[in-house]
Amino acid sequence: MKHFKVFKSSLIALALASSTASFAESFAITNATVHTVTEQGVLENATVVIENGKVIAINPETITADTIIDAEGKILTPGLIGSMNQLGLVEVGAVSKSRDASDKKADITFDASLAFNPRSTVIPYSRKGGITSNVVSPRGGDDMFKGQTFVADLSGEFDSVRASNKSVVIDLGSKSKGSRALSLQNLQFKLEDAVKELAKAKKKTNDAKDKKEAKEPSREAQVINALLAGEKALVAYADRATDLLFLLKLKKQFSLDMVFVGAADAVLIADKIAEAKVPVVMTALDNLPGSFDSLHSSLENAAKLTKAGVTVVLTVNGDTHNLYQLRFHAGNAIANGLSPDAALASVTANVAQAFNLDSGTISVGKTADLVLWSADPFELSTKVSQMWIGGKEYSTRSRQDALRDRYTTPSDMPKAYVK
Amino acid sequence: MQKFLPSLVMAALSVALTGCLQSEQQDEKVVINKNPYPSTYKALPLQTTLIKNATVLTGTGTRMDNADVLMVDGKINKIGNNLIAEGAVEIDANGKWITPGIIDVHSHLGVYPSPSVESHSDGNEMSSPNTSEVWAEHSIWPQDPGFEAARAGGITTLQILPGSANLFGGRGVTLRNVPSHTMQGMKFPNAPYGLKMACGENPKRVYGSRKVLPSTRMGNMAGYRMAWADATEYKRAWEKYDTDYQAGKNPTAPERDIELDTLKGVLDGDILIHNHCYKAEEMAMMIDLGKEFNYHSGTFHHAIEAYKVADTLAENGNCAAMWPDWWGFKMEAYDMVHENVAIVDAVKNSCAVVHSDSSSTIQRLNQEAGKVMYRANENGFEITPELAITWITANAAQSLGLADETGSLENGKNADVVIWNQNPFSVYAQAEQVFVDGAKVYDRFDEKYQAKSDFLLGQR
Repeated sequence: MKHFKVFKSSLIALALASSTASFAESFAITNATVHTVTEQGVLENATVVIENGKVIAINPETITADTIIDAEGKILTPGLIGSMNQLGLVEVGAVSKSRDASDKKADITFDASLAFNPRSTVIPYSRKGGITSNVVSPRGGDDMFKGQTFVADLSGEFDSVRASNKSVVIDLGSKSKGSRALSLQNLQFKLEDAVKELAKAKKKTNDAKDKKEAKEPSREAQVINALLAGEKALVAYADRATDLLFLLKLKKQFSLDMVFVGAADAVLIADKIAEAKVPVVMTALDNLPGSFDSLHSSLENAAKLTKAGVTVVLTVNGDTHNLYQLRFHAGNAIANGLSPDAALASVTANVAQAFNLDSGTISVGKTADLVLWSADPFELSTKVSQMWIGGKEYSTRSRQDALRDRYTTPSDMPKAYVK
Repeated sequence: MQKFLPSLVMAALSVALTGCLQSEQQDEKVVINKNPYPSTYKALPLQTTLIKNATVLTGTGTRMDNADVLMVDGKINKIGNNLIAEGAVEIDANGKWITPGIIDVHSHLGVYPSPSVESHSDGNEMSSPNTSEVWAEHSIWPQDPGFEAARAGGITTLQILPGSANLFGGRGVTLRNVPSHTMQGMKFPNAPYGLKMACGENPKRVYGSRKVLPSTRMGNMAGYRMAWADATEYKRAWEKYDTDYQAGKNPTAPERDIELDTLKGVLDGDILIHNHCYKAEEMAMMIDLGKEFNYHSGTFHHAIEAYKVADTLAENGNCAAMWPDWWGFKMEAYDMVHENVAIVDAVKNSCAVVHSDSSSTIQRLNQEAGKVMYRANENGFEITPELAITWITANAAQSLGLADETGSLENGKNADVVIWNQNPFSVYAQAEQVFVDGAKVYDRFDEKYQAKSDFLLGQR
């Protein structure tokens, strides 16, 4: 891709930029087919101007930028957003010292972002899939609360954790030991007890006679209180319709912000989920009855839920290393009835909506996580032409490319000398 | 006793001819039945069928445009332009693509079925590092809904293997992907058995944790070599028995050993090796191990590093069965490259195969092969759809010892055929109709041809 330097930053651009604008590089992507994933829809021959890591203009009357990139009509989308995997927390699945997503003692306060490794080889590899940011989920330990999610971009820079302690992950549903009822009950009790404690504390503070300072709630209680205050979402793994219905009841009772993950039976109660505005994080390719909780898995479920008005977030099942395949999963969802626009939303805007992120659309003021595709983003034959994370361009070259080049380069010397 | 008589005559003849004064009375000859659980598979009801005007990938490296495929009596009868067949069922496949039935050389459907409940976890006899005596076919639950899903993805033939915890995991079996309520009803008639072997991390982890051999990779090698040495003796004992019997003597048959029967089957060339083996240095050693004990080292499965030894594999006639992009779940899967299959395939006389090892991706082996093709072409290769299809058809058939039966659309071969709605290497491609031995077993638009397992029947 050719870069043309045209104008120095204009006064307007300077005015729009933040106080550190003296080092801000601006660039414009012109002649792109821009999928905004907003109400604006798809803009043909469009221009997007980026400065200071943000989109600052779409189709401005005059283009003012340090660099102009001619997209030659190619498709520009928001960067795709992965979710509910362990990116940066695992280098090799079976190498115990390279795993930081779980700990037997982890509880509701578990903040795995402290272990995030931006230098993981999985990160540049995942960029091949046009993934620019990711909601990382801890796997926790024995506790039903697995810890809290965090958001990281895929720049590979040391400052790539964008936000931590975003939402609380809970694992519900069938148990190989014991009953699912107990964890549902425990969740309800914890919420009820927290409400009572809050009421008590409020009463104490209001009571002038009580000179004693109100005791600060425990760290665990603070997290529950944040759930009750709607400051954090409860991200619940559950599949069977009865579990999902119970959660919807709790959502209503405690005004919780809630996200379902898995939710194999969601199609049975799609209208209720849509009405409650609970996003569903699911995999497009699960279509086998893996358990008695998922007898209704189908390749068409993403389409059916979307049609019913549910906000669907697509994610990649199985290993974190497969994250790059997200766009192919979306493609398969399209083959099974999801519209291409809805499919794109399910890996961009819907993820941002479900997890409250400042990305996922191409709109003024949003983080400039952008991908320019060689063709249809979901097609197997398509590749990432260029991508930007927080307004900075990153390569999709990974360790895999280095290995391929080594073994396809003829040499009289052992391969170890080919670098 | 009837079988006994001719051999008595033979013995008498040989006595007479050699003039040896052999007066010993011979006991009935002990013969091991090599096929005690025979296939009962029969093709489903079929009609002469002519598929018209499609883009045909034959599986032999050829692409034919606007071509017709004629299936008669379960066989490919003719492929060409403007074919006419009186009385044939005609299918207009204008704009559609036709390929041979897709073959997966590595599946655990039926032995690790859905739902994955304890009661059905029958794929890996993890009780000894050598369980050559177990046969995957004895674990198959034919009601696994995964067979139906795989059929909707164009899978017509698949090998079910035991798991990889053991150095010798036991026998694999090749199935026709047709619904049946018995294993025998799916069994591919006369397909050779496979023997699952496993290199690397799995056996040494499983048995190392129990403080028995193997706990290291050198322990793995020692375990294979000891077993093959035993098998060599076992084979020799049986051959001596046969020779002595043939010579009119009345030898005592060696004691039957079900475990060694399988290994002997490999040494006899009846059973094909299917070796879970990720790493270059291990594949190179397994090839030498085969030479040391005089058997062929077969197909390497999950061959993540096959690209490092592509020449060695081709020189030694080994197939490599690979994923396009799985990696990183173990150290031995760390050096994955997207172009692995293409690099292996580029060598003369190679046998590159794309496999699944998954109840999910078995439904999309066409896409798996497509991913390799496109990534390779981005990096200097020139792979065509007619070549890429061989990775999941003809080469897979070769790996299973079935190249003369299936895997390509050639006159006289089994009419295993998939009609795709478009180029099968698109993410949007779907199998519309699937034929096994000329019989329609799946139709995306006709419920009559959409089988449902007993397990899912009546669930709500």
